[in-house]
Amino acid sequence: MTPPGEWQPRSVEIEHLSLRAGGKRDGRLLCRELDVRFSPGERWVILGPNGAGKSTLLMALAGLIAPDVGTVVLGDRHLPRWHGRDLARARAWCPQFWLDPFPATAWETVASAVLATDPRRAAATVEDVARHWLAQLDAVDLAARDVRFLSGGERQRVALATTFAQGAPLILLDEPTSHLDWSHQGLLRDRLDDWSSQGGTVLAAVHDVNLAWLLATHALLLDGNGNALYGRREQVLTPETIGSAYGLPVRLLSDGESRWFDAELEHRP
Amino acid sequence: MASGSPAPGQANASVADAPPGGRLAAPSLGLATALSLAFVLGVVALGLLSGSSGWGLPGHDILWKIRVPRVLAACGTGAALALAGAIIQLVTRNPLGDPQVLGVTGGASVGAVLAILLAPAGSHFTLELGAMLGALASMALVFTLAWRNLERGLQLGAPSGTAIVLLVGVMVGTACGAVVSFVLALAGDAQLRPMVFWLIGDLNGATLWPPVWAAVGLALLLVYPTARELDWLARGDSWAWTLGVPVARRRRLAIFAACLATGAAVATAGSIGFVGLVAPHAVRLLGLRSARQLLPFSALWGGGFLVLADTLARTVLAPTQLPVGVVSAAVGVPFFLFLMLRRRG
Repeated sequence: MTPPGEWQPRSVEIEHLSLRAGGKRDGRLLCRELDVRFSPGERWVILGPNGAGKSTLLMALAGLIAPDVGTVVLGDRHLPRWHGRDLARARAWCPQFWLDPFPATAWETVASAVLATDPRRAAATVEDVARHWLAQLDAVDLAARDVRFLSGGERQRVALATTFAQGAPLILLDEPTSHLDWSHQGLLRDRLDDWSSQGGTVLAAVHDVNLAWLLATHALLLDGNGNALYGRREQVLTPETIGSAYGLPVRLLSDGESRWFDAELEHRP
Repeated sequence: MASGSPAPGQANASVADAPPGGRLAAPSLGLATALSLAFVLGVVALGLLSGSSGWGLPGHDILWKIRVPRVLAACGTGAALALAGAIIQLVTRNPLGDPQVLGVTGGASVGAVLAILLAPAGSHFTLELGAMLGALASMALVFTLAWRNLERGLQLGAPSGTAIVLLVGVMVGTACGAVVSFVLALAGDAQLRPMVFWLIGDLNGATLWPPVWAAVGLALLLVYPTARELDWLARGDSWAWTLGVPVARRRRLAIFAACLATGAAVATAGSIGFVGLVAPHAVRLLGLRSARQLLPFSALWGGGFLVLADTLARTVLAPTQLPVGVVSAAVGVPFFLFLMLRRRG
């Protein structure tokens, strides 16, 4: 399916960005004066130990948190200068947790994101778009199911379909691989590939270093003490950098093209 | 593999894999509209044609001076409470949300019992006026205390603004309950009976119907144009914000509309429980789940339901007239349990 009318990939750039835990002035420092440019066609993974600030960084990029220091620039404008509706057409954010207090079908859930960015779209085509994205995430069978009764992995696929269906070129995914089984991790990789090859930008917070390697073209590694490494995945993801960020020895097992990071959990300090 | 999900590209799993209760029927708007209108018109006709003296078309004066205003008051009150309940459930994301949690009912109760205690006998509409003033005062109090917090919920670590408004509402309501108990202790025997009836919820002698209808209309007018955004808010404040919803503004407006409807309903008929909780869920069980359908249909069903409850209240033990609150609970509880358990089968 062709992307919706206003498909206009833009780069997003963080300038001198400092973030603190909980968005509070006295919070723990998560990143210090960070300057990174995320360009169309790139797939970024954000890695780091628990509480390192992966979700906080994604929320700052989404505009949900105003950073104390530094700015986020999307396209040619600072993030706070964007109008809410236009911003929804430019970037989509997929939270780590979803609330489903009331009964709703999976396709209704996906359709709400379509309607948000394209309110005048006819009802029939909204359902078509929603079903298309459910199919892309292997969730066609879930279309008429109540989202409250889905399994964790099924709900995650509906959430991803919702995010793609929003039609914004920049997608910010918080733990998109959680609960997904192997085959659906592969499916997500294909969808993210498609997305970036059409000029979309992907930023995803991921826990599994090996999965991150497979999903990404670029990586941003936070160490939880305010330091960050970023760049192409092969520059950032090395046994030394990962080991120092997570605080334990890491080996690289390489077999021709594939690489596999192996954390020596039993030898952690 | 427990989930049974097929590999991408393979044939899809059978439809029968769906767990019971997980599949939702597609709503048919036309059928639901016809059903709802038939229900409302049916109970209105029933309400007009039945009375303590028996069945049939009453005389001109009884019909126009007693029955019509009372049925209209019941219908408007039920609609207002149901609409307020639906709004509160959505913005607080709480399926057990009810108009009473806002503290407005408590404030109106204080105003009403004070009016009964202090007003000279034979004065007109003092009860309604007292209840309305009490509702307005508690509304102002809840909004003042929770106003700043309604912006919150977007920041990390801050308690959600809706949680604060609920807690403030519950606290104001509890304080009002204490004041009501105090007034009841002061009241004389002749005043106690109207006070207790009012507190249970009573449409006896309720003839002042235009305000509550106006409140329903105004509340719908305020909330309906952006009803879709309430659905998104129910899935999370932050997510709704990323879709371009001005979260704080929408939430304030919705809670204001709910307070308005609740205040008018309570001033008209006392604190009738249950309608606000049950009507929205009954509408959801009909298959009307999006806020655009939920809000108007909740009002329809709440109105019809209260007309039915009131008709039963004044005929079942005639000539004794029961407070409608008693009947709304007695009819509503089994009705709701039936609707819920039927779906689980």
